[in-house]
Amino acid sequence: MGDRPPGGAVRRIDSPSRRILSSLPLPHPAQTAGLDAKAISRAKLGDIGAFTEIVQAYYARCLRFARAMLVEPDDAEDMVQEAFVRLYRALPRYEERQRFESWLFQILGNCCRTANTVAQRNASRLVTDDALLERIPAETRSDEDALGGWGESVRDALAEVPEHNREIFLLHYVEGFSYDEIERMTGVRQSALKMRVKRASDFLRARLSRETR
Amino acid sequence: MRDSRDFRDNAEPVVRRAIDELRRLPDVSDDAIAKVVSAAAVARVQPAADEPVFPARGRSWGRISAAAGLVAAAAIAGFVVRGTMTPPRSMRLAATTPIAPAAFSAERASEPIVEQFVFKAANARRVALIGDFNRWDASAKPMTRSPDGELWSVSVPMMPGRHVYAFMVDDSLLVLDPRAPKSRDPDLGAEGSVRIVGRP
Repeated sequence: MGDRPPGGAVRRIDSPSRRILSSLPLPHPAQTAGLDAKAISRAKLGDIGAFTEIVQAYYARCLRFARAMLVEPDDAEDMVQEAFVRLYRALPRYEERQRFESWLFQILGNCCRTANTVAQRNASRLVTDDALLERIPAETRSDEDALGGWGESVRDALAEVPEHNREIFLLHYVEGFSYDEIERMTGVRQSALKMRVKRASDFLRARLSRETR
Repeated sequence: MRDSRDFRDNAEPVVRRAIDELRRLPDVSDDAIAKVVSAAAVARVQPAADEPVFPARGRSWGRISAAAGLVAAAAIAGFVVRGTMTPPRSMRLAATTPIAPAAFSAERASEPIVEQFVFKAANARRVALIGDFNRWDASAKPMTRSPDGELWSVSVPMMPGRHVYAFMVDDSLLVLDPRAPKSRDPDLGAEGSVRIVGRP
């Protein structure tokens, strides 16, 4: 197996950091995985320079995923950091026949789900006080919010998609993982994965069609 | 292997627009990268505050039922007693039993017990023991080759409880212990060998 990257997904390019750190408006997912093919092997041996290359190659995608997954998107940077720390610690155990990118997003997904559970538990504590509930004013949408634009509408709608459907939708459509890969990552059968993506898509279509009218 | 087609093309137009919006990559500063790398480097050499190198006994045993623990311990003992490999006479006993007294008393529950790990790899140039007790650091516990060159061994003080480990061969190959039960890491998906230290 040697230095060959898992699944052939990691390709050598001349300047990964320049390519990844610039803001790419609408990249195809496959175009963002530029990484020296030997970086993972070197990082496994503790080479911090190689690990830096890995972070540079995947940080932006991880941040994008975490912001869309988290109940508290402001925690996304912390969650990405946590995922990379876990990854670095576990690198010696990484088997190169696994696809590195799948592994990274598997760890990140676990971090996000754990954080959401904690956030939801904390939020549920707040509403146990009925007197407090009565004092909370009804939610109103200001003109400023209404003018937030398409991006905000999409993020608001996605936040209402149940977490288990949202995660698969993001992995498939935004991060570009095939159903086959997601099945290996999650252990969920492809028929169930397709159903989750369909439910998320149906919800987004219904919500966003109203916005575009 | 990644499918070359763009999955987004299968979505309905309004969903396609949403996907395009969601695919926008955020700007990332060099400082953010440096912060992550720094945190990872520190974490690799330093255990997290909430994650001791030697797991607390209660926490470790809480993960498996007492019955499962006994079964696992018995399995290890069974493998060991049968002797799936034949270490030299000088290390045969040490390889099969903890160096600490066999009786495990409650007052000693918080004290480490020295465990010996033995691995057969005649052709290896280097072998290291890695596990949750040394942060999976391949440089922390290099193993020593036996005089006949067949076996590698190392002794490690370990807290009572359940530990997951593996052998790193020639700095690149991760090998599980053929004599030990396996455990799948629920977080990372990778398999490890399990050693139960002490008994409840």
